[in-house]
Amino acid sequence: MTGPAILLLLAGLGAIAWVSARARAMRLADVARATGRRDAVHSLPGYHGWYVALWTLIPAAIFLAVWANVAPGLVTQQVLHDPAAQSLPADAFARSAILGEARAIAAGDQAAAFNPASNALVDPYSDAITKYGVIGAVLALILAFAGGAYAFTRIRADFRARTRVERLVMATLLVASLLAIVTTLGIVGSLLWESFRFFSMVSPIDFLFGLKWSPQSAAMGYGNDDAFGAVPLFWGTIFIGAIIAMIVAIPLGLMSAVYLTQYASPTVRKWMKPLLEVLAGVPTVVYGYFAALTIAPALRDLAVSIGIHSASSESALAAGLVMGVMIIPFVSSMADDSIAAVPQSMRDGSLAMGATTSETIRKVMIPAALPGVVGGVLLAVSRAIGETMIVVMAAGLAANLTLNPFASVTTVTTQIVQLLTGDQEFDSAKTLAAFALGLVLFIVTLLLNIVALRVVKKYREAYE
Amino acid sequence: MAEHTIKAFDEEIDRLRGLIAEMGGRAEAAIENAMLALQRQDKVLAAQVVEGDKRIDAIEAEVEKLIIQVIALRAPMANDLRDVIAALKIVSVVERIGDYAKNIAKRVPMIAANTRTLEPISLLPSMGQVAGEMVHDALNAFAARDADLALAVVERDTVVDDFYNSVFRTLVTFMVENPKTISECAHLLFIAKNIERIGDHATNVAEMVYFAATGQTLPDRERGGSNAAMED
Amino acid sequence: MTEEQKLLSPADPKMTARDVKVFYGVKEAIKGVSIDVDMDNVTAFIGPSGCGKSTFLRTLNRMNDTVASARVEGTITLDGEDIYAPSMDVVQLRARVGMVFQKPNPFPKSIYENIAYGPRIHGLASAKADLDVIVEKSLRRAGLWDEVKDRLNDSGTALSGGQQQRLCIGRAIAVEPEVILMDEPCSALDPIATAKIEELIHELRGRYGIVIVTHNMQQAARVSQRTAFFHLGELVEYGVTSDIFTNPRQERTKDYITGRYG
Repeated sequence: MTGPAILLLLAGLGAIAWVSARARAMRLADVARATGRRDAVHSLPGYHGWYVALWTLIPAAIFLAVWANVAPGLVTQQVLHDPAAQSLPADAFARSAILGEARAIAAGDQAAAFNPASNALVDPYSDAITKYGVIGAVLALILAFAGGAYAFTRIRADFRARTRVERLVMATLLVASLLAIVTTLGIVGSLLWESFRFFSMVSPIDFLFGLKWSPQSAAMGYGNDDAFGAVPLFWGTIFIGAIIAMIVAIPLGLMSAVYLTQYASPTVRKWMKPLLEVLAGVPTVVYGYFAALTIAPALRDLAVSIGIHSASSESALAAGLVMGVMIIPFVSSMADDSIAAVPQSMRDGSLAMGATTSETIRKVMIPAALPGVVGGVLLAVSRAIGETMIVVMAAGLAANLTLNPFASVTTVTTQIVQLLTGDQEFDSAKTLAAFALGLVLFIVTLLLNIVALRVVKKYREAYE
Repeated sequence: MAEHTIKAFDEEIDRLRGLIAEMGGRAEAAIENAMLALQRQDKVLAAQVVEGDKRIDAIEAEVEKLIIQVIALRAPMANDLRDVIAALKIVSVVERIGDYAKNIAKRVPMIAANTRTLEPISLLPSMGQVAGEMVHDALNAFAARDADLALAVVERDTVVDDFYNSVFRTLVTFMVENPKTISECAHLLFIAKNIERIGDHATNVAEMVYFAATGQTLPDRERGGSNAAMED
Repeated sequence: MTEEQKLLSPADPKMTARDVKVFYGVKEAIKGVSIDVDMDNVTAFIGPSGCGKSTFLRTLNRMNDTVASARVEGTITLDGEDIYAPSMDVVQLRARVGMVFQKPNPFPKSIYENIAYGPRIHGLASAKADLDVIVEKSLRRAGLWDEVKDRLNDSGTALSGGQQQRLCIGRAIAVEPEVILMDEPCSALDPIATAKIEELIHELRGRYGIVIVTHNMQQAARVSQRTAFFHLGELVEYGVTSDIFTNPRQERTKDYITGRYG
């Protein structure tokens, strides 16, 4: 019996369970109501229907999910015990190739075998698949019936089906939300594990405080010492993401927020705000080639014309400027929200004292909105340092520890991309370094986010 | 008049008005019965009037309590405030009117001894009737918030005063002619004076009704307009 | 001239409003209001919600300017000068006609800075010592000095609601206004704090022209000498407070005051 068929069958059973349970509950309710007691009937018939239907479906569905993972193993076991399998080669790789082919033919995914050895195993395979398919289907149906029957017998007029269904719904939602958390934990776990492996090869002190970054030389066999000093990367990240980009984004974002909240007429605001937010929707790769192809050459020419001949065509400035533009919407929408959240009465109070609008903004609105603005900036920074495409395309690869914005610097994200692209062995220090960098980035952005959200939340409470 | 948003306020005002109407009715009846007892020399009826005054006093106490409660809990404003204040003053005046009726009734047994004195009594019932009607109209004006009716009551006070003057002259003449009846005649003189005071008090009630209804005090007028307006 | 006329049309009015109309778009929110404000008497505006009393109050220091669609007709003068004339500097006007709002709105600064804010922007004090004097004087007049003199650097928002409102009054006083407009200044306060504000209004009377909007009729009765009753944008009745509350002339005023409205 095939998967879709069994699922359809289960759905049908569920529907039947729903209808019959509902009908039974209705009859019981009519009888109970005749007694005249207000609490004689607890739940509407529909809830009884759902209760029984869920009892029919959920155990069977869980069983099927488990079975889908267990069955292939059982199938393979049976095939291997088949006499035809005794002639299989001992080499694990060749064995699994033949087995895979046989399975594909048996399941109908493949028409004919490339390896004649596979043909012999097709029949045992299809036998086994059919056998376990039937076993699974029968077990699932038995479970469905058992569950349904159990639930059906529990239907009484005063049975609290409504409460039970509520609990089941809650459990379902809980599982859904746990799934996201578990995934995240898995990611963090793998990051931690790989980083741990890296730090067993390179000392964390060297990594965090070393001034020289040349993983290529380590890969070429010059040893791990002195090759994984990540400070130039951290500096490059901070220089581009937290300094240059912020020099662009904070004033522009703040000013546009002030304009939009305080000066713009509602019509202007209606148009400007979405337009500004479109900036946040532009794919970062578009910013990337804009930075690499337009801004960077222009900046180099400019630098050369003012006499800085060392200017690189992959400058920190180009990447930082474009990144700054990219995060303007973050800063401005956070600042916009926090300025708009400053009570109107605060503004009126200042205006009524005879302050001008700009005095009011400078001395009352911005100070009052500051925590929110700071929170927005922190979120923007965490976004900027995690940004990859722009820096990959525009910032260059040289791990320079420099203050010169026209020089080429590199960032954590760029290096992760560098370390992991192309064919890699996953046990060298060079590759594992990417995980360590990723971990550092993860921790920093996590902290920034936590701090930012704290700040924003505290501020929100102050005015509500 | 539109209802108050707070219905309980209306209920209290209604209760207040009901009590005042009852009190007025009893005072009016007391006047009428006192005069009747006087005419018929009916000591039993007179005793009933004296007894009935207690109920009037009790209503006064009840109304005062209710008014204090209304002022404290409802904080009446504008016409409500004037109504309540007028009511407070009206009950004390009506209580006095009741006292006068009682006073008259108390004198009935003292006059009954000498039938000769009945002669000058002939004027008193009509005088009592006018005063009773004034009380009646003043309280009706309060119930209806009728400033015009209140004004009419005030006008009528001169009628009672004129009655009093003529009763006064008649009694004095009678006493001169029949010195033996001086004792009874003195009682009659006090009764006439009491009726005159009832008229004055009815006028006071009417003045308060006028204030409650319009918010204006009546322009000063010649008080009582009689040489007999001395307080008793 | 009777006492009543003298009170309602003072010989030396600080502010006058004549046939003032306010439009929001095409909607006429205020329909021809005329009143006078002088230094010796408090004027109270009462009326049901949405009757236009706050709107009218805000025309007196042009706070309505912040609402783009609002348009004002008629004349409002301050010391005989039309406040809606093009030559009038709104910022100066608001320094002369201060305002206290419904909800206490101290700035998120220290108590000292809250008071010093106005004098600073208007350049009323050149040295720190001058500013200290202004702060103390304003807080004293607002009846708050004794309560806060030891903690002038605490945040203004840390004060209780009533103290915050007195701080806001002190803040308005600090710029030496001539008229103070109060828009339901006690609506967010408890009865004790309310009583303190009312006593303060009583003390400020004579030094400043005071106009107060209130929902609390007893408050209007307690603090004002003149009362204006607004209904649906109309000035229904304008009279001596004791008359309005004992003997209103208009049926609508009577119904509102005695609790029969609506």
